[in-house]
This record gives sequence, C-alpha cells and structure tokens, in this order.
Amino acid sequence: MKFTLNGNGVEYTGALNARLLDVLRDEYRLTGVKCACKEGECGACSVIMDGRLINSCMVAMGRAAGSDIVTIEGYSKTDRFAVLDNAYASVSAVQCGYCIPGMILASECILAKNPHPTEDEIREGISGNLCRCTGYNAIVHAIQIASKEGSGLW
Amino acid sequence: MVKSYIPSSLGEALAIRAQESVIPYGGGTDLMIEAPDDASYLFVGKIPDIRKIAEEGEIIRIGAACTFTEITESSLAPDLLKEAVSRIGGPAIRNLGTVGGNIGNGSPKADSALIFFVTDSSLRLISNQGERILPVRDFYLGRKQTALRSDELIAEVLMPRTGLENYYYKKIGARNAQAISRVSFAALMNMSGGRIENCAAAFGAVSDVVIRRNDIDAMLTGKTIAEARALKASYLEQYDRAIVPITGRISAEYRKAVCMNLLRDFLESNGI
Repeated sequence: MKFTLNGNGVEYTGALNARLLDVLRDEYRLTGVKCACKEGECGACSVIMDGRLINSCMVAMGRAAGSDIVTIEGYSKTDRFAVLDNAYASVSAVQCGYCIPGMILASECILAKNPHPTEDEIREGISGNLCRCTGYNAIVHAIQIASKEGSGLW
Repeated sequence: MVKSYIPSSLGEALAIRAQESVIPYGGGTDLMIEAPDDASYLFVGKIPDIRKIAEEGEIIRIGAACTFTEITESSLAPDLLKEAVSRIGGPAIRNLGTVGGNIGNGSPKADSALIFFVTDSSLRLISNQGERILPVRDFYLGRKQTALRSDELIAEVLMPRTGLENYYYKKIGARNAQAISRVSFAALMNMSGGRIENCAAAFGAVSDVVIRRNDIDAMLTGKTIAEARALKASYLEQYDRAIVPITGRISAEYRKAVCMNLLRDFLESNGI
C-alpha cells in the first residue's frame, strides 16, 4: 500500500489494521505526533490527511492508502508554520506543549479554509484539540495574530 | 485469518464481502475505539459509488461513505441533517466519520441516525445478489444489532427532501464539542391548510434503539392547532408510557425528564 508522507511517496507493507498513529510514531519515527487518549477525544495525534485535520488514532492504515499525509515534522518546514510559530511564541501560547503539534495543524486547517476567521470559527476549529493547561485564550489569540501577520500566505 | 482489503470498486468490495468475514470500515471513528488486533476490515471509505450526494425527485440520496464534513458542506443536504452532524465530535472526527458507519454501528446515540428516523428515511443495502430498500426503523433490531446481512453493505441513505423546514432539534451532551449525546431529540411539524399534515418525533440515546412512534404522532394528523391543544395531554401521556429509558452513565429518570421536557417544548414552540 502506498501513500504520501510529508511530501514523499512511501510504500507500507505492514498490517492494514494497524493504527496510523502507531505506525507514524514507531515505524516512521515521527514522534511529533503525540499519543494521549487514543479514542479520538483529545486531538494530540492530529495530522492532516488529504487536506483535512484527522485524528491519527482513529485511522487504520488501509484507510490511509493513497492519501497525502502531513505531520508536524513536514509542516514545520513551511512558511506558514514559521508564521504560526512566531505567533504562538509572541503570546506564550505554549505551556507544557503536548497538545501543540495537533493544535498547530488545527490552526493550519482553520486558516486554509478561511484566512480571516472569526473568534467563533477559530474556537470551533480547535474544538477537538484539548489543552489540559487550558491555555485556550492565548492559542485563539495566536491564531488571530497569525491570520494578520501571515496575510497572503493562506 | 486476519486480512484486510482495500477494494477499488463497489463490485470488488461486494465480491470480498460475499466471501470473507470482514468488518465494513467507513471512517473508523467508532471501530478504532475498541479495535481488536485481529480485526479484518473491508475499507469502503474511498469507493466513489458510495460517496455521492444527489437529489432525485422527492428524495436525496446520501452515499454511505460521505463524511459528516462533506454533508455539512453540501448544498443539497437538508439543514436538519447538517445541524445534527455538525454537532458530532470535533472537526477531526467529522472529517473521518461517515453516515454509513454511524448507522452500521447500531448505536441509539448515532446523531445522524436520529434524523433518518424522524424523517422516515430508508437505506439501500446491496450485495452480490442484488439490493433491497429497508426503512431505517426496520434496520435496527436492538442495541448493536442490525438487519445488515454478512454479505451486504450499506450503499445509501434515501432521505425525503421536503417537509423538513419546520424542524426542532436538540442534542443534550456534557459539553459543546466532543460530546456523545445523553439525550437527542428531533421533531418535525408540517402544516397544510391550517391543519397538521405531519407531526414526527424521535428520541435518541434513550433506549436500545431510537424511539420513533408514528402511531402516537398520528393522533395529531389532520388536526388544527386548537384541536391539537385539546389532545396535548393525551399525546404527552402516551409518550410518557412509550419512553422507557435505560440507565447508563446517567440515570433513566434524568433521560425521561429531558425527553418529556423537549417534547413539550417542541409542541409549545408550534403553539400547541
């Protein structure tokens, strides 16, 4: 089975019922994909599949066949990431950091859909990504800053 | 034997379904929660034939592999269905989860299934032997038990397109997002020439199967609002007897009280 991982074509020969989350971490060593609840509740394992945010714990490998998957490792090489990185840092939106890879990818999906989202749209967009430090206000603010500073990128 | 399959066409999927013991896999958001290591899946989520949303006469056909996000973004999907599916999980779950999986999982908490109950929608089930159309209410046999045969797949939901404008929908969960329904309620009230043409109510997450009692609703058919008001107490009393909630994380008493409050509010919002 073949799929695209962070821009590179890969051929996967393991079990089709294995979890994408486990395969990304254990086989491809992409440990920016975090494992927390493993039941689709927390968003720590979020990746982008075919342009949409998904929970990698909720995907068996067979569902990923032919898909284009981007993890935080791939995304962190983009100009858009640099804008989000600066925006998050500027308001100290990162505390323990565990939710952040998923949160950044959720931020990307919000801005890719709508470069100038309202606060409600931002909150809706990150509603599946839990931050147990409860730093949501700073994260929402960071996305608003990125929307402004990254004008034209999205 | 543990083996999973990625068919490229519906024909290929049906051939495998007929011969192998496989679990149809749409988006995986229910299946992956308690996925055993030896699960054999048939990945149907990307089969083009069951990913379409189309209008046909009085019916809207919704492919079983359509995700909740695709329904929300569709210009053809009715608002009632959009509202219900937009409350499922969070964005990342809605980007994966499919209506076929929501129904096939057999749960009375399935937020899209509630809408298919209240609208008296049907399912098109297909196999190598042909197809059959089954009303949603006949598909559910009990908790986690459905009428789907081992060689069949859910192909489409056939939902009425009309008579859905005056709807009432409430999902009661513990949070705004990422919440599984504690009680969900959907209802329709259609008037024609000053009389009730169709009154329909459905209760999800309450019993083993979504509660839909066309026989009780029928007592309001053909009545004026004033006549319906006179029947209100009797209508509520019949539902009070019909709703027998199960106790789960929350009590049966709570579920019952919420159901009756929502039903009463639905009537009152229509002047009854």
